Amino acid sequence: MEKRLIKKDALTGIIGKIAADTTVYAPVKVEDNVLFKVLEKGDEPLVTLANTKNAPKNFFFPRTEVMLRYTRTTKGMEFSGGEKEAAEAVIFGVRPCDARSFVLLDMLFDQEKYKDPYYIDKRQKTTIVSLACAHPPYATCFCTSVDGQPVSSAGADILLVDLGDQYLAEFITAKGEKLLKYFGDAKADAAADQKKEAIAAQAEKEIKVQIPAKAIKPILDVNFEHPFWDTIYQKCLACGTCTFLCPTCHCFDISDEMKDGDGRRLRNWDSCMFPMFTRETSGHNPRTSQKERWRQRAMHKFKYYVDNFNAIACVGCGRCVMYCPVNIDIRKIVEDISKL
Amino acid sequence: MENIDKKLREEAKRLLEEKRVDALVGYETGTLPLTATPCFITNPEDAEKLVWNAFCTQNLAKYVHDLISQHRESQKRVKPEDRKKKVFGVVARGCTTRSIVLHLQERQYARDEIVIVGVPCTGYVDRKQLSIIVSGEDIQEGTLEGDQLVVKTTAGEKRIPLQDALSGNCLTCKFNNPIICDVMIGEKAPAIAGAAQEYAEVEDFENLPTEERWAYFTKEMAKCIRCYACRQACPSCYCKTCFVEQSQPQWVGLGEDTTDTQVFQLMRLFHMVGRCVDCGSCISVCPMGVDLRKFLKKLDKDVLDLFESRAGSSMEDLPPLSRFKEHDKEDFVFNP
Repeated sequence: MEKRLIKKDALTGIIGKIAADTTVYAPVKVEDNVLFKVLEKGDEPLVTLANTKNAPKNFFFPRTEVMLRYTRTTKGMEFSGGEKEAAEAVIFGVRPCDARSFVLLDMLFDQEKYKDPYYIDKRQKTTIVSLACAHPPYATCFCTSVDGQPVSSAGADILLVDLGDQYLAEFITAKGEKLLKYFGDAKADAAADQKKEAIAAQAEKEIKVQIPAKAIKPILDVNFEHPFWDTIYQKCLACGTCTFLCPTCHCFDISDEMKDGDGRRLRNWDSCMFPMFTRETSGHNPRTSQKERWRQRAMHKFKYYVDNFNAIACVGCGRCVMYCPVNIDIRKIVEDISKL
Repeated sequence: MENIDKKLREEAKRLLEEKRVDALVGYETGTLPLTATPCFITNPEDAEKLVWNAFCTQNLAKYVHDLISQHRESQKRVKPEDRKKKVFGVVARGCTTRSIVLHLQERQYARDEIVIVGVPCTGYVDRKQLSIIVSGEDIQEGTLEGDQLVVKTTAGEKRIPLQDALSGNCLTCKFNNPIICDVMIGEKAPAIAGAAQEYAEVEDFENLPTEERWAYFTKEMAKCIRCYACRQACPSCYCKTCFVEQSQPQWVGLGEDTTDTQVFQLMRLFHMVGRCVDCGSCISVCPMGVDLRKFLKKLDKDVLDLFESRAGSSMEDLPPLSRFKEHDKEDFVFNP
């Protein structure tokens, strides 16, 4: 594996150079929010940040995606493709938890049986530059409870580790190595590796929250009907904040928009928290209340995904914990389930 | 504050023990520092959880409406002679009672289906404002000491005057004591100093050229991710099916199209005419920080100017869209 050392103040310049040649998505301060967005001229990418409010999934699985277009003609319907093929791109500044979300999303969108061409096209053409958490940024971080680590290269093509006085850049994949030329030629030595290991060990210690996320699967297996589910949903507003900000939530809804003879088929983010989510054409809704919807959210993350892919669909970023408007805390829910 | 918590708990316990309410909606301490969260109490012992402080944000009238409509729905399948009435208690400050008044005026439920436990209010902390004050640093611990917030972030400890972190709507609130209630906890709160300047911001906004106002609207709406948290938190948004979710006809597209988002927000704003109580719930829940209040407050001012009405300000002050007055202004209909 290629490794380079780069000066602290050189990083912004490196991102700028990459951005001159290809599309770069990076964390940018937009008014009061830190958001991933396309880096445009004049934008200053943040290199010291906690984490972004929005998860980076949007770049592979956009909130709205055109799947196909159609036109009604005298000879019948004529179809054409959706968006044009994706361009090469780089996402900079992805935290290890969010980088791991790509590994989890790949399991679904890029599995042997079903391949999602829209997701895969963008995923393959995008290089992920991850920024390790030398100090986990939030008191709500719990990545180590769900198989993650604050200093981890899972899901990343390049991993940057802040060694204090400089960055260590590890080029994990061949895709990452293609960007080698931007990172100068100061090769990393064994001392840098040792420093990284020490930082990683320390960072893991700094994560204060441990939840029994991996222990609850067998409990969920047998407790689909349990009075516990009556206790968690009442204050839920049924908004989409948790699912829309979540790096791993991936449910979508397909809708057609047509005007005169021209139409397009869209794939939009959907949320299991929305009452409309499972409403059927007849008007019947199998999930009649927020109770069933909340059970679904918990089950999908900690049971169904494990059943299907042997992985928990949560990376421990803590966004849903921090931004739920009514403080429904998934950490507490997991904790409570473990005691059922 | 401790005293008020004690009184509140005693009262809630009594209401539940005497079976005057089947359930009570209040606030309990949240899992994050400096937060409180809605809670639902049916067991008198659980009344100990209740708190009333500057971190109680959500307008609980929303839950009262939900609980009553859910109960009524459940009774539809019960034989008429076996149907049960349920009474819900609610911890309510000024704006919450304004929403309740509005619900009552709009015949959403009857007065005897609710017991209002009134609380005095001096405003609640705006989490987003607090986050700006601490430069976005993660708040790891926090306490309220008198009128100072003591906040511990990754950057160290900081003392913040509570006043600086209060929500914008609270700083100019004219209705910080319950409009109606069955039992009042504690003394009435003193009037809010900034209430005289209630519309100052709106007036500034009104004085901007049209293009600038439109640019502001466009900029704010571009932040919206259509999570519908604003609608869901709003006590006045209680349509069984929101127009956004109707499919025949489909009024508005579901994607991230700019105009679709604007149409959703515009329609919601106009549904708030004469019905917004300025509780700030929509703004506090918005994950993206869309400034909805600017537009809601403008509509509020228009209704006051044109029809001399304030949503939920008294049982007699009916919403202008729910009443007819012969001398209602109507020139704007013909000559906007």
